[in-house]
Amino acid sequence: MALFIVRRVLMIVPILLGLLLLTFGMLRLAPGDPAAAIAGDNATPEQIAAIREDLGLNRHLIVQFADYAWNAAQGDFGVSAYSNRAVGLDIAQRLPATLELTFAALVIAAVGGIVIGALTGAWYNSSFDHFVRVVTVLGLATASFWFAIMLQLVFALDLGLLPLRGRLPAGMEVPPDTTGFLLLDSLIAGRLDAFGATLSHLALPAVTIAFGGLATVARFTRSSVIEAMHSEYAAYETAVGYPRRRVLFPFALKNALVTPVTQVGLLFGAFVSNAVAVEAVFDWPGLGSYLVQAIFAADYTAVLAVTLVIGFVYGVVNIVVDVVHGLLDPRVAERM
Amino acid sequence: MRTLTGAAVAAALAMLPVAAAADTDEIVWGDTLPSGLDPHVVYDVPMQFYMLNVYDGLYRYVGNPPELTPWLAESHEVSDDGLQWTFTLKEGVTFHDGSALTADDVVYSFQRLLTMGRGPSGAFLPVLAPEGVEKVDDLTVSFTLSQAYAPFLAAIPLVAIVNQDAVEANVVDDDWGSGWLTSNGAGSGAYIPDAETYIPQEKLDLEINPDHFWGWDDNADPIEIVRAYPVQETSTRVLALINGDIDATDSYLPTDQVERVEAAEGVGVASDESMRIMIIRMNNQRAPFDNENFRKCVSHAFDYEAFIDVVLGGFPERNAGPLPGNLWGAPADLEPYSYDLEAAAEYCDAARDEGAELDRPLEIHIQSALEQTTQAAEILQAGMAAVGVTVELVASTWPTLTSAAGSVETTPDMWVHWVSTYFVDPENWIGQMYDTTFAGTWKASSWYADERVDELLQAARAETDRDVRTGYYEEASRIIVADAADIWIYNTVQLRGLSDRLQGYNFSPVGSGGELRWMSVTD
Repeated sequence: MALFIVRRVLMIVPILLGLLLLTFGMLRLAPGDPAAAIAGDNATPEQIAAIREDLGLNRHLIVQFADYAWNAAQGDFGVSAYSNRAVGLDIAQRLPATLELTFAALVIAAVGGIVIGALTGAWYNSSFDHFVRVVTVLGLATASFWFAIMLQLVFALDLGLLPLRGRLPAGMEVPPDTTGFLLLDSLIAGRLDAFGATLSHLALPAVTIAFGGLATVARFTRSSVIEAMHSEYAAYETAVGYPRRRVLFPFALKNALVTPVTQVGLLFGAFVSNAVAVEAVFDWPGLGSYLVQAIFAADYTAVLAVTLVIGFVYGVVNIVVDVVHGLLDPRVAERM
Repeated sequence: MRTLTGAAVAAALAMLPVAAAADTDEIVWGDTLPSGLDPHVVYDVPMQFYMLNVYDGLYRYVGNPPELTPWLAESHEVSDDGLQWTFTLKEGVTFHDGSALTADDVVYSFQRLLTMGRGPSGAFLPVLAPEGVEKVDDLTVSFTLSQAYAPFLAAIPLVAIVNQDAVEANVVDDDWGSGWLTSNGAGSGAYIPDAETYIPQEKLDLEINPDHFWGWDDNADPIEIVRAYPVQETSTRVLALINGDIDATDSYLPTDQVERVEAAEGVGVASDESMRIMIIRMNNQRAPFDNENFRKCVSHAFDYEAFIDVVLGGFPERNAGPLPGNLWGAPADLEPYSYDLEAAAEYCDAARDEGAELDRPLEIHIQSALEQTTQAAEILQAGMAAVGVTVELVASTWPTLTSAAGSVETTPDMWVHWVSTYFVDPENWIGQMYDTTFAGTWKASSWYADERVDELLQAARAETDRDVRTGYYEEASRIIVADAADIWIYNTVQLRGLSDRLQGYNFSPVGSGGELRWMSVTD
């Protein structure tokens, strides 16, 4: 198992390098160079040329790439050409917000999806199952952008139950930054008011992101539970008199969980890309809204760094999923 | 003594309890923040909000029509040849850290701007070298220009005066302290930024500067704390205003949202005529746009009325030429092009007779983030289809388009954009848009070239007499419009959603009404 983890960690390196090459290539082959935009209004052509020189945009693309990759490997993501601020600083400030949101969404999708999937699988073709099937298809088909606005209209504006936007109410003192995760930080600081406020601010964006994923997990769990409930061991357990809920839990469910757990790993990537749109709607100060601003401003250093960081986190999450996979299924662990 | 008082007040403010957050003298400002806080690096409309509130300049535009008001400067003198400008500073101005603002800070600020070559430096670099800025005494600064440049005074408000000592203490690798200033404040303005809680483009807290040199006598109940928390999405922005989450939206509220805001309780919409013109650029050096008759055909094929009255709810003012209609230098009797498909067809036929090839599909590039550019392009597309010319929409972004404007070959057939007010002088519009010296910049992206127009614009730049300049600009405007160089659509009426709690909103085309010191808050 240890060897497997080391091997997987090492594999992240070429993956990230490939990701970097791809993003770098796409950004630099697209028309337009950022110097003109950075120079701003009223800039003279000489000024634009000077900025291009300053940023090293006149060098050969391969030299620029090697230079960037070398610095990134040492944790230096460069300086945003627009703000002159270190991109690493921006990311450090925003990554925890995105991770907190994504993990909250993952918990909702995984727990909700597995529970709903297990119930509909064990009692499939019941009216509850039919109802859930309709809702999950809707979940898969709904654009998160639209869903977000509907949630805002209903829960924030009409019912006034949940906040519309942001991570904390305007003016509330932020708990001291220990982990960057507001839920944890407010607990560490003993600030229950901030904990409650964070939770209520998390609710709408997390549910928006989780909705489609919850449907996916529920559908996968349902199918594998149905399959497990039809297996020979389930037939045996039923024959010796176990009630259906005992057959489902723990026997069938444990075996049925392998597929949905893999799905949860894949969902992480989907959630992060979903966060790009959802963070903008809810003004969630994370990497998603940062990325949107960076793309529209052609801020290459920022786009590259965010892509790299998301790729890295995605890689790590998938290693964790593989390990959990091994713990759930001894046959997989043997092959590791 | 003044320094001591300033420090004491600053210390007292720092000790204010957080309870101030619940104070009624606090607002949430939902407009966009600049990408960074260094006023000599970032230069765009959101930066004007930050600059006007945190920094001071020698002069400032106040009100609408914008009036150039002596700000840090008491007065100025200019030599007869227009080359030597001398500014006398007001006494007793202090920075947020309590130190005195002197001529050294002014010299440092201009030299910093000109040497870094970023931000608004482009307005000065052609006529002013860093060595041209000199201290005469503690309260006097002189500027020596390399050639007469009448818009110099109009451009002076673009430059924020920074605290030399504070910035120099944070210089790393000859960066002029930019890495630090992009997340910190070093100004003397009416509001003090809180660097501790700042998150770029997401969150900036501003606290009133009780020692601001202008004094607060003209505002009995100023806003004590401003939480600038931009709302990215239009729909969220409108909901947040109605919901009471924010007290102000941006100033480009879509017209379809105006009714919704006006119908809601406790909020309203401020509408103010600005100086921001919408234009469809034509690449005058690429066929078939090099044919004057064809450009006239395109100018007559755009349904101005449908766009302004139907799509935009009748808010903007039709603008006949390259200067905002409410600015001096714009001829009052200039006749705008009308939507006239018959005339368009005749001009297109005339162009064909002259050998213009109208068979290839023409491209119009729009800015994906700005829906209005798409709507305008679609209206033109429909009009051109009616005269048998195909127009295709190409999605693009601002950085791509501005860099494409670098050469005739890469500049699109047509593209849609606005020219906002940075400094209130015809130079900001017609001067930089149609003088061939600016070829290769986005503002001059129609690649228009006319010797007489060049002469007029250059003469206007060197002439200090406003009346004479007006004559030059009027003549140049007439020639450019007669040549149908571009399609000038409207002058913007800026629409900002505001909570009824906010009083004293004082709109100026420079800064779009974001200057907070004039506003007060009531319950």
